[in-house]
Amino acid sequence: MTTEVLWWIFAVAIVAVSAGVVFARTVIHSAIFLILSLAGVGAMYLFLTIEFIALVQFLIYGGAVTVLILLALMLTRMGIAGRPEPTTGVQAPFGALVAAGLMATLIGVAVSTAWPGDLGQNAVAVSIENIGEQMFQNFGAPFMITAALLLVAFIGAIVIARQEDED
Amino acid sequence: MAEHAWILAAVPGIAFIVMAALGRNLPRQGDWLAVLCATSIFGLFFAVLANFLNLGGGAWPVLNSIEWTAIGDFKLNMGIAVDPITIVMLAVITTVALMVNIFSVGYMKGEPRYWWYFAVLQLFVASMLMLVLADNLLLLYVAWELVGLSSFLLIGHYWERRSAVEAAKKAFITTRVGDVGLLIGIILFWEATGTFNILDIIHYVEEGAIGDTRLFVTMMFILLGAMGKSAQLPFHVWLPDAMEGPTPVSALIHAATMVVAGVYLVARLLPVFEAAGALDVVLVIGLLTALFSGVVAFAQTDIKKVLAYSTVSQLGFMFVALGAGYASAGMFHLFTHAFFKALLFLGAGSVIIGTHHHQEMGQLGGLWRKMPITAGTFLIGSLALAGLFPLAGFWSKDEILHAVEGQGTFFFFLISIAAIMTAFYTARLFVRTFLGKPQDEEIASHTRETGPVMTLPLVFLAFMSIVAGFFIFHDFGSAFGFPGGFSEFVFLHYPHAFHVDWGLVGLSTALFVIGTFGGAWFYWNGRLDRSTVMAEWQPKVYEMVQRKFYFDDLYQFLIDRVVLGFSYLVSWFDRFAVNDTGVDGSATMTGYAGFLLKHLQTGRVPNYAMAIAAGVVALTLISLAVGS
Amino acid sequence: MVPMENYLVLSGIIFSLGVYGVLARRNAVLVLMSVELMLNAVSLNFVAFSAYLDPDKATGIIFAVFVIAVAAAEVGLALAIVIRLFRNRSTANVDEAATMRW
Repeated sequence: MTTEVLWWIFAVAIVAVSAGVVFARTVIHSAIFLILSLAGVGAMYLFLTIEFIALVQFLIYGGAVTVLILLALMLTRMGIAGRPEPTTGVQAPFGALVAAGLMATLIGVAVSTAWPGDLGQNAVAVSIENIGEQMFQNFGAPFMITAALLLVAFIGAIVIARQEDED
Repeated sequence: MAEHAWILAAVPGIAFIVMAALGRNLPRQGDWLAVLCATSIFGLFFAVLANFLNLGGGAWPVLNSIEWTAIGDFKLNMGIAVDPITIVMLAVITTVALMVNIFSVGYMKGEPRYWWYFAVLQLFVASMLMLVLADNLLLLYVAWELVGLSSFLLIGHYWERRSAVEAAKKAFITTRVGDVGLLIGIILFWEATGTFNILDIIHYVEEGAIGDTRLFVTMMFILLGAMGKSAQLPFHVWLPDAMEGPTPVSALIHAATMVVAGVYLVARLLPVFEAAGALDVVLVIGLLTALFSGVVAFAQTDIKKVLAYSTVSQLGFMFVALGAGYASAGMFHLFTHAFFKALLFLGAGSVIIGTHHHQEMGQLGGLWRKMPITAGTFLIGSLALAGLFPLAGFWSKDEILHAVEGQGTFFFFLISIAAIMTAFYTARLFVRTFLGKPQDEEIASHTRETGPVMTLPLVFLAFMSIVAGFFIFHDFGSAFGFPGGFSEFVFLHYPHAFHVDWGLVGLSTALFVIGTFGGAWFYWNGRLDRSTVMAEWQPKVYEMVQRKFYFDDLYQFLIDRVVLGFSYLVSWFDRFAVNDTGVDGSATMTGYAGFLLKHLQTGRVPNYAMAIAAGVVALTLISLAVGS
Repeated sequence: MVPMENYLVLSGIIFSLGVYGVLARRNAVLVLMSVELMLNAVSLNFVAFSAYLDPDKATGIIFAVFVIAVAAAEVGLALAIVIRLFRNRSTANVDEAATMRW
């Protein structure tokens, strides 16, 4: 019972901070909301009793990615003279419409579908040994390819963002 | 050996490949190879003949076939069938081919593309032999087109001359009209019986496997092919023009062999023609052709043109015989005609060489003294053609008269007229070319007899022109191994023994005398040129005859006005409806649509993202709606 | 206990908010953050499925790990592009980069 109450509190909080991300007027605020949102999702993983993923979420998203985003924000800071710019584009109303439609569709599908093998509505604990075995045995090749992808992506990022000599 | 008669066709076929590839580089440009090839098939023919006669009537036709191709249940066999008709054709082709090859060595000396001429000659012989040996219509059709091709190549041998090119095209296109008919006929046969095999088709037809109307239509299409190849009215126009080719070619292809392919085809399918009730059509076409070209031959002044129209006329005779239902009479005339007509053409070739390329009768005359051998053999050929007892032409024409006798007095009368005309124009040809005084002293002074390489074939063919008719006799035939003579060798349903009908002989001789002496008297030199007399007496009629009854003009008109007019219409349709509207139009439409739609590409990434998101929602909703 | 549908609905809401952010906001970095929201929603979905429906194989969990790894790569690259854009055009607004057209 306690868990459920806690879950609901967290769920509402996550929705709230996620909305904060997209609706906040300042980008910095958005970034802070994003950290909270990511952390909230990490908490959700804890509710699902999968501590490994929760840990990864906190470390990579909450730590590395957010720092990266904050760095980018600082590097792309607009002119100090605060002429107030609209934060949303001209197609925002249509975007809202589409997003609302999508939300309705997703919720509708999630609620109305009879999910196969829905075991007693209980999340089952997944041991970290199991995850390790899966990842390094059955998913060994994708794991390695992902490693290569990361390497290439970061080299590419360096090349793209590099200050060129003639600039 | 008879079942391996395909070797006959294979030898010249290989010779063609060798000569076409190497001919230019061989010693003497390979003419010896051509003669060797012709000699060997001449020899091989006798091996086939001996074996064939030894096997005896019970083993005829000798068959040999292999599976050509099989596509699922559809099987196609290719092979040969040797029966008496084939043997007759083989005899004609191998003999005349040998003579023509030898003659050509002299005739074509120093001419351009000497090696290519001999190579194509071998191709022709190979395809002609394939044509007569084929046991199925498909193979026959292939050979049929191949002889057409080699005829085209040889008529157009002097392609530097525009008239030769025109003549080659005319021959090719005119026969093509008939060939399309033949192809349609073959397809109709195949559709009705499921086979191309000639014997099977005849068998099916005799069992009544094809309905009457359908059979008749099929035979009309087949007949169309035969008429095109054998230059029957109204397809005759190509044959006189084909004289543009080298003269030995005219002798081989346009007198003795290829043009009789139509006769051969009709004779081969004669039981089917009979079952279809189409014999009368054959008879009437042959008769019209024989009369028509006999008349036109009067007004021709070129030696070869006279001979060409004579050939058309004689082919008409053969059709008449076949139309009367007498395979033996038609094939016998084919057999004898091949020898004396080849002789006449080669004689004409000898005249052309002896006079240094003059072939207008108005410029010749009095060649008798200058070219005695040519004149002598030409005389024998002329008499054989005119039907002098007992030369070859007499017996075969006698047989045709005998055959037509049963068709009623009217037809008999008309064919007699045609026979008189034959004798008449033959006499005119001989008299104006060889007798009397030379019309042109300049030409006459340069004229000399041709060498033995050209006269020996003439002598041989003259010999054959004398004796070929005797094959009709029992005694002569049995000496060669087919007792009963020609008419018991080649027949439609049952052999008929040949008897000399003295009444017919008398009539035939009378026709010969009337025609020949009439012609000789009329055109005897020292008098005015009687053609001029005719021209002055009845200019309109004379012009009509000389213009060949306006057939060429009619065709020219048809092509200019009807065909080209229709072509113009079609080309207009193609240009505007198909090209501008259809092809260019669709391209323009696409381009214009692109011009309009490119404005959807705003270049703003959020718009694209929006499109993706909206698309996802829409697709999800659609799939949900369809799924439920 | 919390039923699985709750997680799915929660993830759907977060995802849609992310979509709105991508479509509506002008700042490129913010668009990127919205994309992170969407990715998170997806990961949550996967993990929820895995935990409820297929705990033995843990496929969804592995997938979430991969999503996180790829997201890291994507963020790195995308931020590099944003910085480049800012340096060249002095703006980080996506609707001002309007040259991807005819």
